[in-house]
Amino acid sequence: MDEFDLQVRYHIYDSCMERGQPPLIDELSAILNVSKEQIGDALANLAEARILVLQKDSGEILIANPFSAVPTSFLVETQKFSCYGNCIWDSLGLAAMLHQDVRIRTSCADCGRALELEIIQKTVQAHEALIHFAIPARHWWDDIVFT
Amino acid sequence: MLLFRSEEHIKNWCRQWKFEPGAILNLDTAWRLAHAWYVEDRREHSWRRKTLEEIEALFAELGLVSTFWNLR
Repeated sequence: MDEFDLQVRYHIYDSCMERGQPPLIDELSAILNVSKEQIGDALANLAEARILVLQKDSGEILIANPFSAVPTSFLVETQKFSCYGNCIWDSLGLAAMLHQDVRIRTSCADCGRALELEIIQKTVQAHEALIHFAIPARHWWDDIVFT
Repeated sequence: MLLFRSEEHIKNWCRQWKFEPGAILNLDTAWRLAHAWYVEDRREHSWRRKTLEEIEALFAELGLVSTFWNLR
């Protein structure tokens, strides 16, 4: 990654932190006053460095961990905005990255019953739910979207 | 990584989707892992991904020491 890639990374995460979702290529192009192609190249570099995951056809950002650019089964509500985590771990990670109390609305992956977690003052409020990691750690990035 | 109501529901899911049971974390451990992983501000110029050694140390600190958590 070069300095320009780091500038792009800054604006991606600034958008995430301020409004809960990554920016589009058009938005980054306007913010940095460069071509869409230059943004596309930077996104590719960031994806290569495993900072991002891109949408296959459009090249737009799909994932800027822990944020998802598209709706998922993990809705995370903060005082400022609602956003989506990529999985339950990332949803907890949103509370950590945003330094805010959050409510996570999701469901049991087996039976579908609604589950709601709250992280208040850096503590998960008592809940009996469990997290299952299906993919061994060394294989997480074999297919990160599935993981 | 998915959330389940109980171990019974994890077993049902593994059976249905033909997965070997993986690793189960309670929410407290998962929160500590997520917090350590994501607490840094990724806008910072100096931010970088954790190294393999840093991740291994984090897993060890949280007691995640089974072969499931091996990175090499």
